[in-house]
Amino acid sequence: MPHPDPTLNVMEHRFALAKYGKQLWTRERAKEIRPDLSAIFDKAQVGDVIVIDAGAVEVFDFSFANELFGKTLLSLPHEYPGRFLVVEHLTKYAGENLSKALESMGLVIIERNGSGKNRLLGKVHGIDETTFAVIARKRGSVTASELKDELGINLTAVNERLTKLTNLGLVRREKGTSQAGREQYEYRALS
Amino acid sequence: MTTASSENEGAPPAPTITKLDSVSFDALLGTNNPFTQGDLSFDLRGVRLITASALTQLAAAILALNQRGQSPTVLIDDLSVRSYLVRAGFLEVVGQVTNIEPPLATSWFYEARHGMNPMLIELSKVETGNELSNLLDRIVETLRSRLKYRKYDAFDVATAVSETAQNSFDHNRGMYGLIAMQVYGKGARRFLEIGVADCGDGMLATLKRNPKYSLLISDLDAIREACKLGVSEHEDQTRGTGLYHLLEIAFEHGGSVQIRSGGGKARYRMDKRMGWVFGVPSVPGVQVALTLPSKGRG
Repeated sequence: MPHPDPTLNVMEHRFALAKYGKQLWTRERAKEIRPDLSAIFDKAQVGDVIVIDAGAVEVFDFSFANELFGKTLLSLPHEYPGRFLVVEHLTKYAGENLSKALESMGLVIIERNGSGKNRLLGKVHGIDETTFAVIARKRGSVTASELKDELGINLTAVNERLTKLTNLGLVRREKGTSQAGREQYEYRALS
Repeated sequence: MTTASSENEGAPPAPTITKLDSVSFDALLGTNNPFTQGDLSFDLRGVRLITASALTQLAAAILALNQRGQSPTVLIDDLSVRSYLVRAGFLEVVGQVTNIEPPLATSWFYEARHGMNPMLIELSKVETGNELSNLLDRIVETLRSRLKYRKYDAFDVATAVSETAQNSFDHNRGMYGLIAMQVYGKGARRFLEIGVADCGDGMLATLKRNPKYSLLISDLDAIREACKLGVSEHEDQTRGTGLYHLLEIAFEHGGSVQIRSGGGKARYRMDKRMGWVFGVPSVPGVQVALTLPSKGRG
């Protein structure tokens, strides 16, 4: 299904978690499910979004979250660069458990809320959240230099933040060309 | 979570134990430890009550002796305890590998077995994640229907059990976990006790498989380390969070946790967010006792 965002031409692939059960316990169960999710990632192109729909899932334990969400997030930058992983329709309980699980692993995921807005869930630092929000608001690509001015910090600090967000799979880095014809990196986030 | 050392609990005087729980189990081993002495018996004469955690500990100890080719004897004289053990699933799990003295008459055994299950979750042996999943669903259902737990409180209990029990077969090849659950007390003092035990390699041997922890030398150090975030046999960012989350859940609910491994034991009291460690008579495996104030509305 095409994403409505006009500037970020992405395809969404949906993964309904509830088909595996309402109560999802243990690492072993997640190990059984992960290949199905990986198959979707294998089909996805750079720039595509994979949405885990957690609707109707009442609970998953930390081991399940670590194996399914943690392992997938860790594989993003190396195995599936440029793809975004989003989770939506989390119940309060599942959301809290996922947040704690990600926090304990030092990971972050994009959560899409009921009104379609994205927020970060997991081990989120305020500055990362701000940087992500600024990039997302651009609804297109942005350079480190542009962000430097917007965030009011120096270029080294901006690059550090961008590297972190890219490694977490929250921001996509692409090669672009400046107006002067020089090669430069441009960054995009889901808005 | 901080821990403090305490006096050795391992060699107490030999009291008459009337209530066998996760604490007095060490006193029982203090009088006779079948793992270090020739006497292969657990003398429960005088015992009038066995709690859920002690039940799992006793079963794990019996199964550990059986792995060594030994068949221990359990001495029980109290009729109600004998009946309780049958109905609590104890003989289903260890009946083939232990001798009950005096022997249970077959006819009596079947009669007692058809009596009412005295526990919320009888002694259960789980060997795989799928078996554990089914048991966790049952725990949620039991807490919701019999104790009128709110859904999220029941989920917390099941999550705590899950994170503890998975270690039994995640870190031991061909191993199983033993689980039992019961509620005790009345009114505001009512609490839920859950025992999870195995007779595997124990935390020290398990952690030492990871070169990062190869210098650990004692069971107490291993328990302390294992409760820290990210500490695991496996060098994997998604591992080493189970016991940490167990303690967090216990803290949120104002409960307590006892973790026993080999010859060490740590008790965490969540009202102080503090743990105490003790030397105890050595038995194989890991045994965890979790107590949580009952959240039931019934």
